[in-house]
Amino acid sequence: MHRSAPQPLKADGVPPTPQIAGGGRVSQLWYAVVFPELIDAAYSAAVLQRLCLHAQTFTSFVSIEPPNALLLEIKGSLKLFGSLERLHADIDACWRRLALQAYSAAAPSTLAALWLARSAAHTGNPADRPPVIDDLGALPGHLAEMPIACTAWDIARLETLRAMGVTRIGELLRLPRAGLARRLGSDTVQDLDMALARQFAPRRAFVPRERFRARCDFETEIENAAYLEKALEPLIGRCAQFLRERQAGIQALRLKLRHRAEPASCVHVGLASITSERRRLTDVLTEKLTQLELAAPVRGMELISGSLRPLSAGSLDVFAGLAGSRAGAGDRYDSLPQLVERLRARLGEDAVYGVASIPEHRPEAAWRRVHELPLPSASRADGKMIERGAGEGMPRPVWLLDAPQPLASVPLILEQGPERIESGWWDGKGVARDYYVARRTPDAHRSHGAKLWVFQERQSKRWYLHGMFA
Amino acid sequence: MDARESSSLADVLADARVWKLKDASAAPARPVWSTGKSALDARLPGGGWPTASLIEVLLDDTGLGEVQLFLPALVECQRRMGQDGSAGDVSWLVWIAPPHEPYAPALAQQGIDLTRLLVVRPTSATEALWAAEQALSSGICAAVLLWLKGTDDRWLRRLKLAAEAGGALGVLFRPERHRFESSPASLRVLMTQGEHEVRLDLLKVQGGRPGPVDLGGS
Repeated sequence: MHRSAPQPLKADGVPPTPQIAGGGRVSQLWYAVVFPELIDAAYSAAVLQRLCLHAQTFTSFVSIEPPNALLLEIKGSLKLFGSLERLHADIDACWRRLALQAYSAAAPSTLAALWLARSAAHTGNPADRPPVIDDLGALPGHLAEMPIACTAWDIARLETLRAMGVTRIGELLRLPRAGLARRLGSDTVQDLDMALARQFAPRRAFVPRERFRARCDFETEIENAAYLEKALEPLIGRCAQFLRERQAGIQALRLKLRHRAEPASCVHVGLASITSERRRLTDVLTEKLTQLELAAPVRGMELISGSLRPLSAGSLDVFAGLAGSRAGAGDRYDSLPQLVERLRARLGEDAVYGVASIPEHRPEAAWRRVHELPLPSASRADGKMIERGAGEGMPRPVWLLDAPQPLASVPLILEQGPERIESGWWDGKGVARDYYVARRTPDAHRSHGAKLWVFQERQSKRWYLHGMFA
Repeated sequence: MDARESSSLADVLADARVWKLKDASAAPARPVWSTGKSALDARLPGGGWPTASLIEVLLDDTGLGEVQLFLPALVECQRRMGQDGSAGDVSWLVWIAPPHEPYAPALAQQGIDLTRLLVVRPTSATEALWAAEQALSSGICAAVLLWLKGTDDRWLRRLKLAAEAGGALGVLFRPERHRFESSPASLRVLMTQGEHEVRLDLLKVQGGRPGPVDLGGS
């Protein structure tokens, strides 16, 4: 259907008439929609970007046609949606739901669809059935009746054409190409070729931005943080949809609150794992808001997401929410990341952590805190990961003191030991200790019966308490 | 004579005036976790620590083996709850405001899965109680251990309801001076230091007999 190599221009600068191969088989199908209400250029640019996101639920290729139109390539979506009529009706319903006046058309070429939509907009009756052409052979016939104004060419060109007595595209098509190119420029001829699907020009697809950003302003200033939650709901909904369309998740959020006189205050929220779920975002933001003390009344809010990360199967909380039947349990099944986020939002980021052991002889160095919590999909039943009864000689105490405490006297009964630990001479924190499991003797004033982990330094012979067996 | 003798034991028990002590507190199919000490198991209804309930341990000092009492049960419920159903990970242990740092190698030695352990350090008692309530009612925790200095009856009731709702084993460690207060916990254990060993007293047991427990040679 398309030319495989660019044809050389003839001597007078007119591209030669391309030949249609395949006898009129359509290989592309374009849907164009014109929104006559979008007049202001800056405003309509932002709105068109938002509408692109809606359109992306139907197809992956959406192109913005300024000032007020969108082009969707729908050939690939036909199978999913069933038929062309059905898909067309679905997309039209989308605009109706948004309460936007829209005129649409579908045709095998981009420009034809655009021109058809525009002429429908000019005649101005949205109740008419939108023109849908899927047969290439019928295309010239449909185009012939369109007024030339629907091409949206510049005024000078249109005036020239009107002076020539050309009012419909059909008449334009009957004019000789060479003369047309000479009088109105070769791009006129190219446009006509594109409209008739004889030539294709690639269109730039709409590429969504990397971060979600949405803002809303309030008519009256809000002084109570509780009311902010209500206003947040639509923003979070948009954020969740934004992420869903991109199959991406976020791990951080920022909420900017604007005040009248003071500089904007920021609320930072971190999430325990990459997520795109609306419920989790709402949970963690409301938790933060309940603790927030507003320095000044809030006039507007802006929700900015962190950078988008791809969603992996491990970060999908969908299945965690369907936790198996537990007799008598409530129907509130959180996933762990949700619980951790909620706790961290109220208690602080560092207040919730896990622990892990490190293979290390020195006891105080044999463990560490873990901030990043493993996802539920991490190897769970793998016996190797879990050291069950590592059998490292003597038992270890459940509580370890931050630093060994010197013991004044030795009112102890040594029950087990000694376990000699000598290590760490290479980094200067060497230890040479004999560890014992001990119990305080009955004639001490306190703590009979408490089992302690003590050691004696080999060099200084001093006794220290290092842990307790709780 | 004959008519009276022909009434069976079942009829007698079915009489509303006869009240079976065991029946009153028999929990329907709630799993119990063995404590690892047979003497203690024998005294507890069901033969172990009950899930979906609040257990209160009163003690004044640490090092008496209070956590050790629960460790075998924690290991077991982590293991079993984690395998229970492929969807849903309900094997988490949450320790809230422990008096010292939990020593990871010790826990791993006993068989705790460290990748399913959370330590929470709140800054106030209210935060600790809130965190415990969240964890207990979440439904993903197998057990929640909470250390507190003191609290009131209202909060204890909330914790108990949360434990029942979430199906978790809730353990509250409190100073011994609270032993004379009333508490909604279904099981209350007092640990004191004896002459040579630790003394364990069951202050309140639903469905069992309170009194000291002779741990024997454990």
